[in-house]
Amino acid sequence: MIFITGPLYSGKRDYACSLLNCDRPELEQRAVWDVQNLAADCADLNTLADELAQHDVVIATEVGGGVVPIDAKERAAREAAGRLSCLLAQKAERVVRVFCGLPMVLK
Amino acid sequence: MFTLVIGGAASGKSEYAEGLVLCSPHRPRYYIATMEPFDDEGRARVDKHRKMRADKQFETVECYTNLMSARLRSRGAALLECVGNLAANELYSPSGAGNRTDALISILLGVSSLLEQCRDLVVVSNEVFTGGERYAQGTEDYMRLVADVNRALAKRADRLCEVVCGLPQYYTTGRGRIGCR
Repeated sequence: MIFITGPLYSGKRDYACSLLNCDRPELEQRAVWDVQNLAADCADLNTLADELAQHDVVIATEVGGGVVPIDAKERAAREAAGRLSCLLAQKAERVVRVFCGLPMVLK
Repeated sequence: MFTLVIGGAASGKSEYAEGLVLCSPHRPRYYIATMEPFDDEGRARVDKHRKMRADKQFETVECYTNLMSARLRSRGAALLECVGNLAANELYSPSGAGNRTDALISILLGVSSLLEQCRDLVVVSNEVFTGGERYAQGTEDYMRLVADVNRALAKRADRLCEVVCGLPQYYTTGRGRIGCR
């Protein structure tokens, strides 16, 4: 599994397409994205990460780069999203951060 | 060696920074804790981080404001966690400096004082600058203080590391070798 992360609208899916040499419809079969949104209501992040890791490519948007939210639920969601990304990065064969459309290999 | 480790929320920065201290040959190991727990969530965070340090022989030194007052009894390796808390405490706690200018001075002098008291220092700070600018009034002061501290410390540090999903990314400072593991 290749884990791709980066800010909103940074070109993560376009990069995934170029990596897998596929178009957007095919990407839907081989990749999963916006997984940061799955973390908030998940009781077992490790199992979730294992399930997600079945895909060729897993994409998460970075959401931990702002000031700590005042709302406790938002805080917990952001925390869970970050932990999920750490787990996915551990399980991935390769980790790439896409920034302004440019890929940087982290692992 | 002075390392500045920066990361977003739940980026794995604490664990990585702790690892840097663990690979320092110097003892004792100090953990300078800055988070004053006010509620259950705060206590849970403190507990979580204490557990992460269990069996790793860290001595905890609590210091919520006025970092210059922190005393390490001998010159070992220290982990200061984190600038984000210190900044908030200096701005908003009754015992804090109360304004940005004095808070900046207090934190920077505090780090200088720590550098004199240990051989290896790892400072953890926060990436809070990519979530936009629309926050409650007064937040900008806080963000600017953290940014000022980050830039001042990065200038002084031997190496700057950003942690992204648990993976360290080193920015060179143009001085010496980088990377520890």
